[in-house]
Amino acid sequence: MSDDARTRLLAATVTCLGRYGIAKTTVDDAAREAGLARATVYRHFPDGKEQLIAEAITWAVGQFFAELAVAVDGAPDFATKMEQALVHAHRAVDEHVVLQKVLETEPERLLPQLTQSAPQVVEVLSDYLAEQLRAAPLAPGVDPADAGEWLARMGLSFILAGGRWDLTDPAQVRRLVRHELLVGVLAPEALAAE
Amino acid sequence: MVPGPVELRVVDPDLPAATTESAERILDATLALIARWGVAKTALGDVAKEAGCSRATLYRAFPGGKQHLLLALGERELVAYVGAIAEAIDEAADLEEALTMAVVVASRLLRDHAAAQFVLDHEPGLLLPFLGFHQVDRLYGHTAIALGPHLERFLPADRAGWAAEWTARAFISFIFNPRADLDLADIDDARGLVQRFLLPAFVPMITSPT
Repeated sequence: MSDDARTRLLAATVTCLGRYGIAKTTVDDAAREAGLARATVYRHFPDGKEQLIAEAITWAVGQFFAELAVAVDGAPDFATKMEQALVHAHRAVDEHVVLQKVLETEPERLLPQLTQSAPQVVEVLSDYLAEQLRAAPLAPGVDPADAGEWLARMGLSFILAGGRWDLTDPAQVRRLVRHELLVGVLAPEALAAE
Repeated sequence: MVPGPVELRVVDPDLPAATTESAERILDATLALIARWGVAKTALGDVAKEAGCSRATLYRAFPGGKQHLLLALGERELVAYVGAIAEAIDEAADLEEALTMAVVVASRLLRDHAAAQFVLDHEPGLLLPFLGFHQVDRLYGHTAIALGPHLERFLPADRAGWAAEWTARAFISFIFNPRADLDLADIDDARGLVQRFLLPAFVPMITSPT
């Protein structure tokens, strides 16, 4: 029940951030949106607004990657999984209403928060990718943990910004993944597109 | 007052910043003050005192005030930064050395830049707007334009621009999220990263250009 209230508060806070922004969202707004008493907010987040918002953003980042993991769960091999992950994540960022709104109106408040959660994201993503790489045919001399960490960083880098790559174009994503990112990581036969 | 995000122009490493001697002195003074107590606390009166000039001289050199001064300083420092990285690439014997030394020089210069370090440590909010989503796209574009041509000794033009962008992605990732056992200011660490993850995608280009 307590965990449930906490999650409800985090989700409600994210909704409020999309509606009012980071600066203007108050503890009252979040409590009202969650249908909980103000005291309940302070029980879960004793430091108040600052803590609530920081944890809500971290929670939203966690949700984003949890949904990403589910979306690519059925991929038949590692390279395909990377392709699907980049396409899905890019679209999810574009379509994330709250993220886009706050990015547009308060980047100077949002980006420090996102930067703070980056090490944790890289760590979780690294472990996930390393685990997947252990089951994949690797290029000679590749250490799955080392390569997983690198690919986590590069994956995040591309989720943030596509640069010269159009991540809505499956052919470009295939080229990026199979001819660039994974060339030094997977064995050549694992890079061939099916 | 903390200035809002500003637009950065494309930096051409081959183009020296054209400023007068007093403007240079004022920029040096600003840099020293930022290294001491940051951008927010650096006031124009302090800058004039540090530079040993009057406020009138300061405003003559930078009519737009603090924002103008910061923009000019950012541009001067960036031109010098990108120029030094370009030089490291130009001195390299092959692509491996070029990418390795680009990363090493970029890391060392940033590490030793007291003003940049102060801002990174205490006022990251001033830099982050350049590194969020669409803004970092532009940064990659600028890197490819400024440094790509210097890699064309080793790669076809489109691959050279991409190599510059990719290396910049790695660099930025490790600056904002360091890894305890990897120091990009260290030549062996940087070379290892380049060898393991960047070079393999370019090796066929080098051996059999199409």
